[in-house]
This record gives sequence, structure tokens and C-alpha cells, in this order.
Amino acid sequence: MISSLRRLFESRAARKLRRDNGALVALLVICVYLLVTIAVMCNAISLNDCSQVIGPKSAAGFFLKELPERRFEIARTSMLKPVARALQNSDPTAALADVKLGRWAVADKRLTQLQKIVSDAIAIQHELEKSENLDQAPELEPKLVEFERKTAELIEPLSRWDRLAQNAAMLLGTDAQGRSIFFRALYSIKVAIQIGVVTAVVSVLIGAILGAAAGFFGGWVDHCVVWLYTTFSSIPSLVLLVVIAYAFSASDAKETLLPVYVAFCATFWIGTCRVVRGETMKLKQLEYVQAARTAGFGSARILFRHVLPNTAHLMLINFSLLLIGAIKSEVILSYLGLGVQSQPSWGIMIRDAGNNGDVMSGFFWQIGAATFFMFFLVLAFNILSDALQDAFDPKHL
Amino acid sequence: MWAYIIRRVVYNIPVFLAIVLLVMVLLRQQDPVPGLLGKNATQKEYDSKRKELGLDRPLMVQYVSLLNQIVRFDFKQEMWTQPGMTVGEQLRKAIPPSLSLTLPALVLTSLVSISIGLFSAFARGRWLDKALVFFAVLGMSVSFLVYIIFGQYLGSYQLGQLAGRPIFAIHGYEPGLEHWAYYLLLPVLISVVVSMGYDTRFYRAVMVEETGRDYITTARSKGASTAKIMFVHMLRNAMIPIITRIMITLPFLVTGSILLETFFGIPGMGNVLLTAILNSDFPVVEVFASIFSGMFIVSIIATDILYAVFDPRVRLQ
Repeated sequence: MISSLRRLFESRAARKLRRDNGALVALLVICVYLLVTIAVMCNAISLNDCSQVIGPKSAAGFFLKELPERRFEIARTSMLKPVARALQNSDPTAALADVKLGRWAVADKRLTQLQKIVSDAIAIQHELEKSENLDQAPELEPKLVEFERKTAELIEPLSRWDRLAQNAAMLLGTDAQGRSIFFRALYSIKVAIQIGVVTAVVSVLIGAILGAAAGFFGGWVDHCVVWLYTTFSSIPSLVLLVVIAYAFSASDAKETLLPVYVAFCATFWIGTCRVVRGETMKLKQLEYVQAARTAGFGSARILFRHVLPNTAHLMLINFSLLLIGAIKSEVILSYLGLGVQSQPSWGIMIRDAGNNGDVMSGFFWQIGAATFFMFFLVLAFNILSDALQDAFDPKHL
Repeated sequence: MWAYIIRRVVYNIPVFLAIVLLVMVLLRQQDPVPGLLGKNATQKEYDSKRKELGLDRPLMVQYVSLLNQIVRFDFKQEMWTQPGMTVGEQLRKAIPPSLSLTLPALVLTSLVSISIGLFSAFARGRWLDKALVFFAVLGMSVSFLVYIIFGQYLGSYQLGQLAGRPIFAIHGYEPGLEHWAYYLLLPVLISVVVSMGYDTRFYRAVMVEETGRDYITTARSKGASTAKIMFVHMLRNAMIPIITRIMITLPFLVTGSILLETFFGIPGMGNVLLTAILNSDFPVVEVFASIFSGMFIVSIIATDILYAVFDPRVRLQ
């Protein structure tokens, strides 16, 4: 296998591929994604980072200044309201200690001081509330700034490192539950690559082995394999995906990625199998296979050492195509609630954005982040598989 | 020819039997009865429900009884989730909405992408071709779901605000031609945009293959005009792969689109199927899967026969 890969790498087609600038850029992009995957696997971003509240809900990314009405809402709800409520508690000190918003805690000030800030802020709030719509009241802007400053006084300033971490988390804003969109999108890279690589490797292996065996041995082996893939391809793939995911939904494996893997592999091996079977039937007729046979090699040896390595280029192309298929299908399964369960994924982010009315209310950060992160990865693989196809299989339609 | 058809049909009977069995076995990985009865059912209710649904019989008996229904084309079994409604009625009710979504989508997609593919192949290597191919790849890299969400946002919401009255429905369906554009035009357009990337690339590849043929050179040397070569010679010869591709997609017209239908609340086949799977309504899923795969098998055989009719070099064997 290693030697055949090396031969593949040194072939004329591979040299053609290396001259293709688009493919090289695509490879570079894929490498960046792989690095992020490795970083996430080394726990650079944990599941906890993705699921904890880090700030106000549905905040915009890139630290953009939002519309006055939103700014008023954020300033009013994120610290002022809980602190005001805590101060009315029978034991204000204990209640204040519980008030937290991500990394933010209540400023370390005396109760009377806090009381003063809160009452000042609420006075300004009442004035601001008189306006129907702050977006159309530019004359209230200084008041709003003052209100924001007052409410910010309630928050304990962060240390330098904490501020840096907070800014990183807030880079692309927060979702409707106040979780970091940036971290969730980054973590989803790992989920997508994991699903893509596992399903693509397994499906290509199953497809290649079955296809090569069918093409090489012919006879009843061929009949069985053809029967098997005709059966699987006669059920619409989305229906098969949904039914398999449903079959797993009662089992313990529901929380893991196993249902997704099985569903994808069951539908994805067919294409590879078909292509490899055709190629094997062609290769079987060639002289070098007859030579190997004359030399007295057994069928298994000829199949695995001489025929299968010569279909490596087809496997490579199919691997790339299936990876795209897996990443795109994951989004659809997750939308239907049958895909990834207990971790973030682009599919879940897009689903959330569609379901909780983010898009309808004009909040595009969540769906935008998931789409762009996914777009560049899928685009890179699309360009790569086109280049692979051009280089290794130019006659392909 | 008839011998060929009969042999193909006989060859595909085990395929069909396996599909029905596969769907049955996959569905029965989960016990549907608790879901259907609710949480507070007693053991006795549970047992009688199982008996009523026929789930207490061995798998093979259930399998044979399902096959019996399919062979007699008798789908009068009651749905599990909607008592009083038969599976056949439900599916019959769901086909028109699905077809009125998928059929216009297929026609539009094919027309648009065949023309773009033709022009792109003809301008091969020039900037127009490169731009078209590039946009096709860009379009293929965005999720289906994103197209739907943004399509709904722009078409139903923003356009409605711009015009001051709703132009496209956000959700829902009413039968009748006069309501078609309001409820279904937007999903159709979204579906066209989504499949355009793939189809354009495919048809371009078909046309590029044709431009390299000898008969094009002959036509050129005879002095035929570019338009004539494109539309008469090339398009005609490219008809075989085009027809094959369209034939293969025909069975999928009936399945509708699970995503578009659930998102826009269209009560079509995709929607019915998904609801049936999520609510463990086994008869609907089983009958649906068997009808679809039957149609799929028939359409593949029909494609092969048509192929032989269109291309005399192909022999059926």
C-alpha cells in the first residue's frame, strides 16, 4: 500500500496535479482545517467552552456597534437587572456572589456604592424608555452612552488574559443562548472532519474491496455484489439515512456519532464499488495480470498486490467526493434532529439559526459563521477532487 | 427484446424482496408501541396494542403479509398514527403537492442547466466558461439548508416587506392552480438554484465530450454555422445522456423533497414520510419504500431499453 501510494505520488498525473495552483491552494486550506482539528482534539477548545454562556444573548460579532435599541437591551439585561434583583434579596452579599455572566462578575464594591450605581442607572433607563424607538432618536445617544457606562461600572474589570480570552470568544458574537459562535464553529471543524474522514475511509475501503472482488472473480461473487449495491441504491439515500438513524435512536449509541457513521457508510460505499468493479474488470484483461498468473501467484495476491493498488487513484477521487458528501449530509441529518447529538456541529448551528428565528430577525452571525466555515472546507475539497479527476481520470464524465 | 425485459424483471425480484425486508428490519430495531400509547399505558394495554398492530407475529409472517399487500396492490391497512385513514389514502393525498413541487423544478432545472451547459461547453476555455464553472463549484459548496433558510428569508419575508403584501407564503399549502405560485414557486426556485451547480457541470461535461467528436469537425468543414452545430448536431447527439439522467430522476419526483416540504409546510410525500418515521408509523414507511423502489427498478430497466432504442449501437443482452 505504501509503495503504491509512493508510485502514485511520483506519477505523471501527480506532477500535473502539483502544477495546478488552484489545487495547491485548496490543499493549503485543507491543511489549515486539519491543524484546527488537531488543536481541538488536543483540547484547545473543549466541549465546555462551546456550551457555556459567555456574554449577552445574540450579540454581533467583530465587536460591531449595534443599533441603539439592541445596545439598550443588552446593557439593561446583562448586568443591571440581575444585580438590582440581588440587591433586593434578604442576603444581598450572597446573592451578588451568584450573579455571573460568563467571565463577568459583580464589581467588588460596597453595597451602598452598588445601590447608588443601580439607582442612577435605573433613573437613566426610565428616561430612555420614554422613547418609542431608540433607533430613531439620535438625540438620546449621549444618554445611552452614559447608561452603558453606568451599567459597566457594575462589572468587575477582567484581567488582561481573561479579557483576551473573552474577546476571542466574542469574535463572532454569541447565539441565542449566549454561547460563543466562534468556538462552536471551530469545534464543528473537528466534528465535520471526524465524520468526513471516518465515513469516507470506511466507505471507500468497503466499496473498493467488494468492487475489486466482484470485478476480479466474476461469477456468483459478482452477482452477489451487484445485487447488494442495486438493493442499497434502489432506496432513496435520504430515506435510508433517516431510517438508519431512526433505528439507532432507541439504542445506547444514540449519543455518539455511530448512527451517523453507519448511515453514511451504508449509502456511500455504492459509488466507489461501482467504479472500482468496472476498473478491475478492465485491469483483469491486461497482460501484467496474466503474467502474474503465469508466474503462479494466487488470486488473493494478484488482487491485493497487483490489481487493487492500480485503482488507488479512483479511491483517492472517491475519498475526496465522499468527504464532501458526508459533511453536507451531516447538516441535513442534524436539521432533521437525527444527526450529531451532544456536541456542536455546523448542521446544529444552521438548524438553530433557522428554528429560533435568528434569520427572520436579521441576526446572521450564527448561520453566517457555520456557512462560511463549511463553505471554505467544501470548496477546497471540491476544487481538489476536480483537480484529482483531471489529473488521474481525465476521461471521466 | 421481450426476453431481455423479462430477464431483467426476474433478476430484480430479489432486489425488491431485499429492500422490503431491509426497511422492515431497520424499522423494527425500535419498539413503536410505547410511543403510540403514551407513557402511562399498562402492560395489558401494551400487549393488546401489540396484537392489534400485528407486531406479536414472527417477522417472517409480517413480511409475507406485507408482500401480499404489495402484490395485490391493496393498501387499505389503517395508519397507526391516524386511525380511520388508510395508508393508500394518505399517500394518494400526498402525491399531488409533491408532484406540483418537483415536476416544475425538474423541468426548469433541466432546461436552464442544459442551456448553460451547452453555452459553457461551446465557450470552453474562454472566460465565460471559466466563470460559469467557477460559480457552479461555489454554488455546490453551500449547504442545501442555507439556500432554503435564506431563500425563505429573502423571498417570503424581505420581498413581502418590500412589496407591502406577502408575495410568497412562508409556510403552508393550498391545492389549486391559482394558489400554486403563492405557495410553491419559491420552493421550486430554491430547488432549481440548489441543483443547478451539479446539473450544469454534468451537462457541460456531456457537451464537452461531444465537441471533441469527429462529426463536429465534419459539420464544421462542410461550413455549417455555429448555431446549427450547437443546436442541431450537438444537442441531438447529447440527447442520450440527457434522457438517461432525466429518466433516473423520475422516480424521485414522487418522493418529493423532505427538506423543502418540511421547511415550507407542504403536505407532500417527503413530509408524510418523515412524520411517519419520526412517529413510528411503520405501514406508511414500508409501503412508501416498496412503491418507490419498485418504480426505481422499473425506471432503470426502461432507461436501458430507451438507450437501445435511441442508440442502435447498444445491444440488449
